[in-house]
Amino acid sequence: MTSRAGSISASFPGIALDPSRRLDFMNRFSVRRAGSCISCGMCESLCPYDVHRRIEGHSKILPPDDRKCIGPSCEANRYYCVANCPTQSLSVSESANYLSLGDPRWTQEMILSTWMQAETGEPLPLDHPGNAGASGGGFDELAFVLPDTVPRFEPEEISTSMELNRRSRGARITVPVPFYGGGMSFGSISVHTMLARAIAAKKWDTFVSTGEGGYPEQLIPYKDHIVTQIATGLFGVREETVRRSRIIEFKYAQGAKPGLGGHLLGDKNTPDVARMREAVPYTSLFSPFPFHSVYSVEDHKKHLDWALTINPDALLAVKVSTPNDVEMVSVGSYYAGAHIVNLDGGYGGTGAAPEIAKKNIAMPIEYAVPKVHRFLTAEGIRDEITLVASGGIRTAMDVAKAIALGADGVVIGTSELIALGCVRCGNCESGRGCPRGIATTDPELERLSTFEWGAQRLDNLFTAWRGQWRTLLAALEMENISELRGRLDLMRYRGRRLKEGEA
Amino acid sequence: MYERYHIPLKTVEPRASRVAGFTIERADNCINCGRCERACIYGVHTRSRSDTREMADPVSHLCKDCFRCIAECPQGALTISRGAEFQSLGRGIWTPLRISTIWSEAETGKIPVLGAGYKGMFAGDGYDDMWTDMSEIVRPTRDGIHGREFISTGVDIGRMPPFLEFEPSGAMRTSIPPLIEIPIPMVLDLTRMRTCSKTMAEGFLDAASRLKTLAFVPLGSVSNKTIRDMAGCVVPVIPSHTDLSNVNLPDEARLIELAAGLSWKKDYDALVKKFPDRVLSVRIEAATGVEDKVFEMLERGVAVANVQFTDQGRESGRNDRHAKDSLRAIHDKLVEAGRRDELTVMAGGGMAAAEHVPKSIICGADLVSLSKALLIALECRDCTKCESPSCPIDLPSAPASWVADRVMNVVGAWRDQLLEVLGAMGLREVRRLRGELGRAIFLDDLEADFLPPQHGGDDA
Repeated sequence: MTSRAGSISASFPGIALDPSRRLDFMNRFSVRRAGSCISCGMCESLCPYDVHRRIEGHSKILPPDDRKCIGPSCEANRYYCVANCPTQSLSVSESANYLSLGDPRWTQEMILSTWMQAETGEPLPLDHPGNAGASGGGFDELAFVLPDTVPRFEPEEISTSMELNRRSRGARITVPVPFYGGGMSFGSISVHTMLARAIAAKKWDTFVSTGEGGYPEQLIPYKDHIVTQIATGLFGVREETVRRSRIIEFKYAQGAKPGLGGHLLGDKNTPDVARMREAVPYTSLFSPFPFHSVYSVEDHKKHLDWALTINPDALLAVKVSTPNDVEMVSVGSYYAGAHIVNLDGGYGGTGAAPEIAKKNIAMPIEYAVPKVHRFLTAEGIRDEITLVASGGIRTAMDVAKAIALGADGVVIGTSELIALGCVRCGNCESGRGCPRGIATTDPELERLSTFEWGAQRLDNLFTAWRGQWRTLLAALEMENISELRGRLDLMRYRGRRLKEGEA
Repeated sequence: MYERYHIPLKTVEPRASRVAGFTIERADNCINCGRCERACIYGVHTRSRSDTREMADPVSHLCKDCFRCIAECPQGALTISRGAEFQSLGRGIWTPLRISTIWSEAETGKIPVLGAGYKGMFAGDGYDDMWTDMSEIVRPTRDGIHGREFISTGVDIGRMPPFLEFEPSGAMRTSIPPLIEIPIPMVLDLTRMRTCSKTMAEGFLDAASRLKTLAFVPLGSVSNKTIRDMAGCVVPVIPSHTDLSNVNLPDEARLIELAAGLSWKKDYDALVKKFPDRVLSVRIEAATGVEDKVFEMLERGVAVANVQFTDQGRESGRNDRHAKDSLRAIHDKLVEAGRRDELTVMAGGGMAAAEHVPKSIICGADLVSLSKALLIALECRDCTKCESPSCPIDLPSAPASWVADRVMNVVGAWRDQLLEVLGAMGLREVRRLRGELGRAIFLDDLEADFLPPQHGGDDA
């Protein structure tokens, strides 16, 4: 492991190998040793991966460490333990643990490869199975068609930056990566998770949103990289938090539960969280839908103006979900003065949302982005606004695909949590919250990780992602990721229409 | 006094053993160190009560697939797998996830709420390739979560005259046909159930009466005394070719349904003659050309078309359309003729999840009937071995009160989810949702408009 870390950190100076025993449990394959084993040691002498070991001086061989096994494909090797065992005591099969992980949107390979990137900072190859899920539509069925030419640019020369202010008013802010961190509130996630995200955002000179629920003091040193979110419940919104931020985000709706508002269940509203939200501890907190002061685009403008009165230098971001008329909403936001429009699709993350809303309300981001991009282009205002997509952006390739569909960049959330060890069990909302200590405010569970560890893992993930974008852009002969915007022609869609055509 | 419609919900424990979504197995090399017990926050792992030196068998149905015990076990003795019984539940659109969701709705009466994002397929067949709309900035007449208690889910059943006519004297010339209003767009259909014992039927009727909705029952399965006692909740369904001379139904049977056969026109005319003052419904099996048949029914004077799909939500026959497309065709045909409100369209079959209710209504139904979902609510495994004693959960012996409470819970949870959908769209009543295709998003349209064309080449 150490030698590997050395070789990687030579090419990517920012990263460090950040292993975790906690994430090292997953075995892709099960190696079973039957009772007929005579502990002859043949397998130990053959296996180059250290699956089979015997402690010096012990007569019995240890149970196989199948996390290191490369699986039945090892059959091709002369040293395949199963074939060489004199008593036929060994068997190798797909592991039940592995098959129990993940779902069609976040497959086993996607989760494990995200963990690997967070551990090593090493980018995924463009054809790695972890780049896309198995949901049968959207990003999972879009693929770049790479030209058969020799890349013209060196990867290090390729820019992956995103301009956040394309209007004439306000501070010029460009982030070196085409993403910033989406809103996850204090209460829905632990303070360690918030801090890890903030530290990584600062290191990468990008941003992370507070979500609704305020601004724990620990985040103040990172204030230049924090977006203050103003959502309908106005939890944690105070004059100083609005004044402190370089970007202020108005959250109209969240993709996973559009039109339904937010809800922090009582158990997670610990005294610390309640203090930040100026609420009574252990009560359920509702953030109602919609803004009851906004009934029109004019009201929306008034809202933005109000934020500018408090903080005239701030950039304004508007986070909306993806209804049928999403392009009209985006144009309205532009005329109200927004710098950034964030489209949040339905398949994105959440700390708690009704299952019916996730799948059924509002359209997936893969369709909303091109819809808005084309409309803004036709209106002649596309280059005055930054369009960012969120809600189901899982991997570096998803980011690239979202940009090719017409976004300037993306907002991420779930992939960061996966990097911190989330297994997507989906129980963030109930009782003490996350059993893995990420999305919890339970003091005992929170201690399962530290923010330094988390920040390093996020740093590694971002390094890996940038590496992958550069490889992709080099293959597409592009010098700047902004050239990719709206290039649907570079992608192939393998979705239903093709299947029906073949039938 | 104004009384808000409310479905009382309470926890109703299951009768059968729970089916675990994930199975945890402990291998023999466990050293009983108890680290898994400390790691698990759901109580899957505990020490044996009889001998505290040993770990008890894991309680798999409490497992939430978080992998903490797997990671903590120093021996690698624990294995998690997807539960085999769980995976084999149901068929077709009745997926294990949908069945277990109905079970939990029937147990708790709550809307399923989970953390983390959507975990399923991007889209799918039928209702899975449509999305409902939402409204970003809600107009004053539309209100989201705060106005939820004022969103009406009531629907009317019967023929509504398109306009009123008056005598020169000012008196109304139009005679108003009988109309039934129920507070939810869901009725219970007992006629299509594979099994329905006496106590089960009693429970369903009790639920229907407490929900103030309707229960469709085979003619003769319920006594006239019960129909009277249930005060308007019972809808007798008369088979085709029935000789009506011996059929007597009390006035409380406000709605009477005829199962359409080849001679449905004759049967229907006889029914009108016999029960001129009731709302009359005709039930047809959806098949190719169902929209023409429904239109014929309208022209004959039928008040309610009860269109029944297969339990997969499709037409029967070879070129089976999904209910979504069938209902749209029916709705469009009625709208084009300018006669949509003269006929109530009810859809049944394939209602496997809460979202199928608003989606059916968007596609053109006025209301839906639930059948299989009600059996699932009673923990039915959908194994189709119904003949007693082979039913693995002995469903026929379920007590009536338990049946009623489970059904109330499911209908309550589905109504709450309908409110979520209506609230997100900013609609204040479900009547407005009917045929609102502009407030739905269809995959076919999106694919045509917004994705790149397919062409060959290397993938990346």
